[in-house]
Amino acid sequence: MNTPIDRQVPCLLAALALLACAAPSRSADAPIRFQATPKDSLVLIQGTSTLHDWEMKGPIISGFVEFPPGVRFDTNQTTLPGLKDGKLPATVKASIPVRTIRSEADVRPEYMERLMQEAMKETNFARIEYRAAELVMQTPHAPGQPFAFDVQGDLAIAGVTNKVAFPVTILPVEPDKIKIHGQAKLKMTAYGVTPPAPNFGLGLMKCGDDIIIIFDWTLQQKPPAPAAAK
Amino acid sequence: MNKKESPEEFNRRDFLKNTSLAALGAMASCVELCPASTARAADSPDALTPAPPGPPVNYGVIGAGAWGREILTTLAQLPNTPVVAVCEHFPAGLLRAGEAAPKAERFDDYQKLLGKKEVQAVVVATPTHQHLDIVLAALAAGKHVYCEAPLANSIADAKSIARAAQSAFKLVFQAGLQERAHPQRHFLRPFIRSGALGRNVLARAQWHKKTSWARTSAAAAREKELNWRLRQATSTGLMGENCIHLLDAVTWFLGARPAAVTGFSSLLLWDDGRDVPDTVQAVFEFADGARLICDATLCNSFDAQYEMYYGTDSAILVRESKAWQFKEVDSPLLEWEVYARKETFGAETGISLVANASKQTAQGKNAVAASPYPNSPLYYALQAFTDNVGSINAEVEEFISSFGEDDPQALRDHLATLKRQPAAGWKEGLEATVLAIKANEAALARQKIELKKEFFEL
Repeated sequence: MNTPIDRQVPCLLAALALLACAAPSRSADAPIRFQATPKDSLVLIQGTSTLHDWEMKGPIISGFVEFPPGVRFDTNQTTLPGLKDGKLPATVKASIPVRTIRSEADVRPEYMERLMQEAMKETNFARIEYRAAELVMQTPHAPGQPFAFDVQGDLAIAGVTNKVAFPVTILPVEPDKIKIHGQAKLKMTAYGVTPPAPNFGLGLMKCGDDIIIIFDWTLQQKPPAPAAAK
Repeated sequence: MNKKESPEEFNRRDFLKNTSLAALGAMASCVELCPASTARAADSPDALTPAPPGPPVNYGVIGAGAWGREILTTLAQLPNTPVVAVCEHFPAGLLRAGEAAPKAERFDDYQKLLGKKEVQAVVVATPTHQHLDIVLAALAAGKHVYCEAPLANSIADAKSIARAAQSAFKLVFQAGLQERAHPQRHFLRPFIRSGALGRNVLARAQWHKKTSWARTSAAAAREKELNWRLRQATSTGLMGENCIHLLDAVTWFLGARPAAVTGFSSLLLWDDGRDVPDTVQAVFEFADGARLICDATLCNSFDAQYEMYYGTDSAILVRESKAWQFKEVDSPLLEWEVYARKETFGAETGISLVANASKQTAQGKNAVAASPYPNSPLYYALQAFTDNVGSINAEVEEFISSFGEDDPQALRDHLATLKRQPAAGWKEGLEATVLAIKANEAALARQKIELKKEFFEL
């Protein structure tokens, strides 16, 4: 029985659509990339001195994190798809512009900022850079809690790169958005940075060598790239 | 270096806490009521580590009259403010400006200066009635703008400038209300806001100088142009051209906007054909019943310029970069005042409220009453502007290189969180301009004018 042509066309289109859904697309195989968002990120640098503790803040953390296909952060699950021997392969690239790290001082905050920029050789090394290749999941994961990992990577400050390890947590804050929280203890001198010792007027204020970097990094999943037109 | 309380709410405890050296000094029985960064003379053995200068900002100065040349001189004193262009349509003025800024390219048309890519920021120092077109063109050309006060000679023009400045969120707009950037003012304001006066009952401000305001030129047309201050059509009078800084300072310190102004004016000495009075008084009424009396004259120089704040516990005199407190006998004793330097004014004894005032070395016969703020208010204002331009340029560049330009609202939100050097922005500029214009109107009409909320709103 012949089918009229005006009924054949919709059927053909529906079949093609089903095939398109069933066939693995290039984007489904592609790594899942979370790109840094311009909002809701913060890096906090805390230090000590002979006068008082100090703190500086920077709201810009750029970069991305890429996970293997299929990774989905559902805190209700006890494990994570994509884990291999407790390790999650990932490409982590984070970058913090030094001159966006600001002092919270009430009086002349730029004074401390410029001392810090000088100490960190900002003219030659404008950004703090971090790279890592995998996350090691801390187990067991308690449902409802952020996923906890240990991460080891390369941290470059003022032109010196060191291996650093610190714990991080990953929390899905929206269906396509995650927040990575972590903190690392560092020594300024390990990066060739001389702790500033300015005279603020009541004798020498000497900053301590130890600092703590605390960060909240918000990233959004980048939509898969559309298939290239032929 | 740590957290800051709400900038609008102060108490004495916060004041001492925030002046961290004062708090530490108090423990050592030596209160030093000054910001930490100004506590030592630069040539003393324990001199402060100087703050490294921020990134250089290339300036263009538009308007090279007497004040424009003062601006050029001040920019030459700052370490990171190269002047790359000057503009003045009067050839002799341009020549003199070129001498003050020998490396600057000279222009007789501000549009051509604004077309010069190297110019990052402009100072608009033309007569007040010419500000509007220049500021709008400068912002449209992507230049940061420092606009002398008052912003304009009409409220409509001042609002147009304020709107344009508000929209240009990637640019710094600063009104030339210099006291807003002066470190002494930022040291003093929390003290006054903390209740040191008791209940404020009265403020008085004056600007006195025996000078004609008249300028001469061989060319009649040029002379008319030079004397724009002497004609009501172009001038905001003594209230706008001089007292605006006092009006801004008092309302800022008192944290209140007046509800009405009543004015008086006379032409008593310089009756040379001008229609702008040479002697003016304005009485501003605040909602709580307190008043500010502001008077200005071109007929007498005595006592020059100062502000007085009168409260139920004490009075405070502010003159140039110094201040003194005169206490009532029934006011509470402040611990630090025992150590503070005192000066005699006739029958009154004033407690010095400047840095070093309470140092033991500052006591006695050999005490030097030098101000720890050696530079002019204009210097500090241009320094703050330059720092803010450097900061915002850095933030915009880093934000765009990190996240691109697809989300301008995110950039706007980001810049809104940026802590800037204290200075007068478009809002403060509009507020003070409206006060000055309405005070001038009230003085010319010798009547009372209600200061309606809508005068100040965009």
